[in-house]
Amino acid sequence: MSILAEVSGNVTAIGYGLAAIGPGIGVGIIFGQGVQAIARQPEAYGLIRQNMLLGFVLTEALALLGLVAPFIFQNI
Amino acid sequence: MSEQERRPEDDGQDFANAAWSIPSYLLAGMAIYGGAGWLLDRWLDTSAFFPIGVVLGIVLSVYLVYRKYGR
Amino acid sequence: MITLTAPAEDQFKAPSPDELFTFSPIINGVDWFTKPVLLALLSSVVVIWFCWAAFGSPKIVPRGVQNVAEYGYMFVRDQVARPFLGKDADRWMGLLVTLFFMVLLWNIMGVIPVVQFPVASHIAFPAVLAGSIYVLKVYLGIKHQGAVGYFKNMMFPPGLPKGIYLLLAPIEFLSNLIIAPFTHAVRLFANMFAGHMLLAFFSMVGFWFLFEKLTPLGAGVGVVGVIMTIIFTGFELFIQFLQAFLFAMLAAMYIGGSLHAEH
Repeated sequence: MSILAEVSGNVTAIGYGLAAIGPGIGVGIIFGQGVQAIARQPEAYGLIRQNMLLGFVLTEALALLGLVAPFIFQNI
Repeated sequence: MSEQERRPEDDGQDFANAAWSIPSYLLAGMAIYGGAGWLLDRWLDTSAFFPIGVVLGIVLSVYLVYRKYGR
Repeated sequence: MITLTAPAEDQFKAPSPDELFTFSPIINGVDWFTKPVLLALLSSVVVIWFCWAAFGSPKIVPRGVQNVAEYGYMFVRDQVARPFLGKDADRWMGLLVTLFFMVLLWNIMGVIPVVQFPVASHIAFPAVLAGSIYVLKVYLGIKHQGAVGYFKNMMFPPGLPKGIYLLLAPIEFLSNLIIAPFTHAVRLFANMFAGHMLLAFFSMVGFWFLFEKLTPLGAGVGVVGVIMTIIFTGFELFIQFLQAFLFAMLAAMYIGGSLHAEH
């Protein structure tokens, strides 16, 4: 079979690039909707803020898991 | 500080503090426990402790952030 | 079938970090004196001149340079210092304004024609700034909370179950004393580095396809490259301002955190 295209360099960088897409969208949605919610209902600020932070932490954790995934699956 | 005596500017400051230090906490948790797992792996010649350490570190940091800022 | 990555003489080649960020010394034999160093020195001189001209003999009704500088001063005071330092804001305004103007000028160098190199895209420069803020942060923390109190407040935040402290204290320590200054410097560096690469790539596309190898098929790509260069220059200006603001804001946040224990 002949080669159609080839990638040189470290493939794990592409992996992290792909893994960062999801959390990027997620963080955007969380803060966007959070700010909107605060603007609509400023009196619920405490509750919204708490849930916003929690959602942000969980999403960010995924992004950082993507960072170490190449090291974990190094020998596959 | 209880909910009643909170001033609005305090809230904004807390929020910015939290949002900026969360990535640091997550990275630190991963680095500490992932690093410990990696060292254990090298010492015992296994390959299971590194992923376990990374996940444990993330769980602990999420817990820490939740307890610290989530209320 | 062909190998798409086959290197050829008359093929477009994206600029590599090596050729974009490595400079030969300006004066032969003086190895440290390269373009980024010259720009950094130049921007220090410009910031000193700027502040001198603006606040050296302030008028009650500001005009000229003083007007611009006061606008920047007000911005830093209202957006950076007051939210994070509260009543201590005025004492730290000198440092924060200098930091803001300095980093802003470093970054703006990236889009000024002819100069066109953001100083902060060499990590040494933001690292020194972040390092000095870090030293200040630890010094202030020990001065205001006591050596034991500072580390106790940092590593053992109140309100957690007793047993879990053993597991969480190392995370707090690493996060506050090692990762925080590291990300402080890297955030600025990475944004400027990536921005410069992006601008260089798109202008290279435009230059290559419109001037070096003008073909009917390639001209469209070249036009797209030029348009993207213009768009990204505007975007870069915004990012450069934002990063200068964030750098000063994080500095204020660290100083504020050291002045008062977290509650």
